[in-house]
Amino acid sequence: MKQRASKEEILKAIEEVPLLSPSASRLLQITSQEDHDIKEVIDIVKCDASLTARVLKIVNSVAYGLAHEVTTIDRAVSYLGERMVAGIALGDSASALFHKELAGYEGPKSELWNHDLRTAIAAREIARFAKEPLSPDLAFTAGILHAVGKAVLSDFLGKTANEVLVGIDSHEVSDYLAGERDLLGIDHTEAGYVLAKNWELPESLQMAIRYHHRPDEAPEEYKLLVYAVHLGCIIAMMCGSQASDSLQYHLNKNYTEYFDLTSEQIASVMLEVNEAFDTLDSAMSDTKETSL
Amino acid sequence: MSNLILGVGEFGASRTSGDIVKTFALGSCVAVILMCPKTRTVGMVHVALPESKINPEKVKTRPGYFADTGIPALMQQMAGMGCDPRGRGFIVKLAGGAKIMDPNNTFNIGKRNALAVKKILWKYALGPVAEDLGATYSRTVSVSVTTGEVVLSSPGRGEWKL
Repeated sequence: MKQRASKEEILKAIEEVPLLSPSASRLLQITSQEDHDIKEVIDIVKCDASLTARVLKIVNSVAYGLAHEVTTIDRAVSYLGERMVAGIALGDSASALFHKELAGYEGPKSELWNHDLRTAIAAREIARFAKEPLSPDLAFTAGILHAVGKAVLSDFLGKTANEVLVGIDSHEVSDYLAGERDLLGIDHTEAGYVLAKNWELPESLQMAIRYHHRPDEAPEEYKLLVYAVHLGCIIAMMCGSQASDSLQYHLNKNYTEYFDLTSEQIASVMLEVNEAFDTLDSAMSDTKETSL
Repeated sequence: MSNLILGVGEFGASRTSGDIVKTFALGSCVAVILMCPKTRTVGMVHVALPESKINPEKVKTRPGYFADTGIPALMQQMAGMGCDPRGRGFIVKLAGGAKIMDPNNTFNIGKRNALAVKKILWKYALGPVAEDLGATYSRTVSVSVTTGEVVLSSPGRGEWKL
């Protein structure tokens, strides 16, 4: 495959990606720590007027079907859960990235967000089957962020989707990541990792972004989380994706060292992904337009 | 003319000339396409999982989700539109059931979906005249009610007829 852009051009583009809002950044920091207080989350939301409005609008949306209107942030956060609140802040703050058309992957608008939300739900559910304790909140947040590098690479890939797929089918390259590296000198996991460092995300999230397609290379202390996101990403693709790279990655079978999973449990996770996705997407779509 | 768009676990049928019956981005899910030449009705169900025993509650709200309840539900709807209730004379086509690269048995839900769908169809003495199952790509399926033509597409792979 002929190289279309240099790694330096991609790194320059990453530097130009706007920083996350202070609220989103702080919420990601706090919710990735194991021993945090929900009050810290509530305080951050309370100090951000537009985030407060969004959180209240979502919790009172038709999708949640609450009998009584929720008017306080304390109740809204407690009802939605911290991971959802962090996800809302992140989705708002980096809306342009998550909801842009993924032209380089022949994906429509919001395809990245749809895949990320499915991955987040799947990773959260997968966390329940971990052999060691794993925070479902952290797995969810890592899932939301894991593929953010695609938003950057998409602009440089142009109309290469067919070329990459032919390369994979003919075993010229081993997977879509290798195709990205041939074309751009960098793949979406590394691009996402550089962006995550620029955003000063917690190291756990940086590692999940960087290693989600090669979890065995992650530092030992983050392997459990990274494998959860790896499996979550695969399950999300099995549930359906409208991008050219869908299913074009390898399953790392060493996940069995970290998770006890049967075929029936995978099926249950897929069921939950589809159900929760409909609810969350419907709740957030009411207000999505205003943030675009 | 309108598009009948079916989401995950949904089923539907049309006999209105000009309509397109469509479902997007099948991963491991399988689209079962039933065509009744006698009434010129096209039906489709977007099956996500093989067996309903995993969540009987879900069957009440979305029977199309499972192969064992989705195909009978579609048959019943088509019977209400004048088609044979046992599917006699139906033309069957199948698409989807994709897999990840190097799957193990635990993750190969697509293959289990395809087998479950065929098992249920056999109970009606039906089998597909055409199928595009397995492999490692997602599929969007469009069926023309006017011509019965089934078109598949996948990002980066273009369109092809089934």
